[in-house]
Amino acid sequence: MELFSETYSCYYQVLHHLLCCQNPLTIEDIRREISQEGFGESLISMIPKLENGTWNLFERDGIIYRSKLNSSFSMPVTSLEQSYLKALLSDPRMGLFLDPKQLDNLNDMLASAVPLWKQEQFYYYDQFTDGDPYTDEKYRSIFRTLLAAQKQRRYVDIDYTSPRGTRVHHYYVPARLEYSVKNDKFRLLALKQCGHSRMRLETLNLSRMQRVIPTDKILSSPVDFNHMIQHSYYTDPLRLHIINKRNALERAMLHFANYNKNTTKIDENTYECLIYYNQNMETELLIEVLSFGPMLKVLGNERFLYSLKARLQRQKEITSELCLQNPK
Amino acid sequence: MSEFQELVKSFSKTREYVRDFFVYGFKTRNEFKTKSPRTYDNERRRLESWLAPFVRKDYGSKGSNISLAIDSNLLDTNPLFQVWKTKSFTDNDIMLHFLILDLLWDGQILTAEEITDNLLTRYETLFDIQTVRRKCNAYAKEGIIHKKKQGKTVVFSLDNRLILWLKSHEDALDALAFYQMAGCFGIVGNLLTDQLGFFNETFRVKHSFFVHTLEEEILLELLDAMNHKKSVNLTIKSSKREFTNTISCVPLQIFTSARSGRRFLCAYLEKKRRFSCFRLDTIKNVTSLEISQVYEELLEKLDKNRRHLWGVSFEGPERRHLDRLTMTLQVQEPMEHYIIDRLEHEGRGGTVTRIAENTYRYETEVFDCNEMLPWVRTFTGRILSLECTAKSVEQRFYQDLQNMYQMYEIE
Repeated sequence: MELFSETYSCYYQVLHHLLCCQNPLTIEDIRREISQEGFGESLISMIPKLENGTWNLFERDGIIYRSKLNSSFSMPVTSLEQSYLKALLSDPRMGLFLDPKQLDNLNDMLASAVPLWKQEQFYYYDQFTDGDPYTDEKYRSIFRTLLAAQKQRRYVDIDYTSPRGTRVHHYYVPARLEYSVKNDKFRLLALKQCGHSRMRLETLNLSRMQRVIPTDKILSSPVDFNHMIQHSYYTDPLRLHIINKRNALERAMLHFANYNKNTTKIDENTYECLIYYNQNMETELLIEVLSFGPMLKVLGNERFLYSLKARLQRQKEITSELCLQNPK
Repeated sequence: MSEFQELVKSFSKTREYVRDFFVYGFKTRNEFKTKSPRTYDNERRRLESWLAPFVRKDYGSKGSNISLAIDSNLLDTNPLFQVWKTKSFTDNDIMLHFLILDLLWDGQILTAEEITDNLLTRYETLFDIQTVRRKCNAYAKEGIIHKKKQGKTVVFSLDNRLILWLKSHEDALDALAFYQMAGCFGIVGNLLTDQLGFFNETFRVKHSFFVHTLEEEILLELLDAMNHKKSVNLTIKSSKREFTNTISCVPLQIFTSARSGRRFLCAYLEKKRRFSCFRLDTIKNVTSLEISQVYEELLEKLDKNRRHLWGVSFEGPERRHLDRLTMTLQVQEPMEHYIIDRLEHEGRGGTVTRIAENTYRYETEVFDCNEMLPWVRTFTGRILSLECTAKSVEQRFYQDLQNMYQMYEIE
């Protein structure tokens, strides 16, 4: 079973779309498709092959290209993909998407496939143990309601138990379902109306939702969700110096790989890293930085530096108090 | 001088470059010392071509560098999947791919000879029968088409039921959209969504490390050996030093960190008679050997050992069997109950005891307490005491704190 195979290549994908197109194409249409779906320099390789007939897959009629293929076929599911699907069937989260009958159907179609992996072959050693209850029917039903509402941009009425234990309910438009590998939890990134035609982004844990009821109201125009996230980032990023001892550089680069960051080398052993984040990420980022100890030095922003120093100050105070109480 | 090619023959050649550009964004051309400048230029150009929207160029005093600016909060897929879609091919490969699949799509069962004839009559393309048979056999091996014997004749057909079923079930497409972002072998889920023309617009994933996808080919070989209970030879290139070495071991389990972004193979070293972990990104090659006769026993033994494993180290700094770490914390009740929750959910089996008002003790016994320090430090600001039977761990913790007080001028 090959993963790095030409059958999955970008060129095959682009050509597949062109060949399955029912309408006749001009070379300009073909160029446009390749530019949109191919790599940066794919045009240079693909266009001559199509124009000079080396890839003799189109009938030429003057300036018109017509696919020689009869059907709009899809590439069949390969052995590798079948094994992947078979492995997914053992994942408890699969029940969030497919009902038991669908799971049985899929299982029957994959009868001869060998799962690509077994759940027990992977061990997430630092994953939190209070993951979401994926097999719970109420949880599944809430998940499906949110999934459907997200696609339709439908407002939902969410009855929610806040972290402080109070019950609240509000109207939201589900924007994205976010899964955290570390927490093994789903969160809803939701839009909430605040004031006249203004939307605010909120994050809600699915496991804290008691009830989700779809309403008749649809959000009329799409919201630029990524713009909202980017807009929420502090303009002044976290600025830190990485002191490359105990392999800290590599550890930090990998640890913070998922953040929007920029790193530059200051001198032989010191690197400066800028990390962009928002208020929701702040506490997590702070404890991540703390976990590196003196290998990272925070230089700014002021807000982050203040929080870090406050924790260190508190730590020094409680250690000093203890020394006074229990002098050795 | 050969012409620049956007596609590549082998993945391993590109793997290290992509990783370096992604993980370390600051290396200039001169700092890629192991390869020639020309190789660097070609790899850089390919990367710019494959991942154009994510490539950032910076200019410094030591020269320009490129990095991959990837903010996972904003993405519906892993941009590094593109790297898997870059395999080069011949003109015959691409022609035969489309023509054979088109020919067999409506359920015909044909011999290689009949396929060759049809290619000529239906599509006016001439191929020799050996080429067609070779391609059909290769596709049968990959499960793309079926091969069977009818009497003495070998025939080929195509089963499209599964792809059509997936296409017609939006719930299944949603599942694929999710799993291509979360979980292992997301690239395979992504290839399927490509084939089905479906794009994720619903899911985001936090704490998933995009760079892991570069290790999937190695992982595939390791899992194959694990499924067959086989020993393997690993070619390992040290991340700190440049040399490579070969290690024989029995691969048992994949250890994944949701925090640090690292994945490891946990294996048994028969010569040294102990377990050890190897970072997947340092494994350059896997060769399967013979079946291990004690595979199940080793799995059981690992299972027993795992309860004393904090991360991936089976031996502490002072080479004792187990070390005990005790941490006493100040927790304001009831407002800071989330700290107790953290200890319970993140403490990997350690015990949590309320020893006085607003005071809790966390205790555990593990092989290597050194590995616990990053987690312990996340409680900075409330640690009343830290004791460890490995005194070097205790000393390092307090010394690091002193260094931080100095660093930030804490009075």
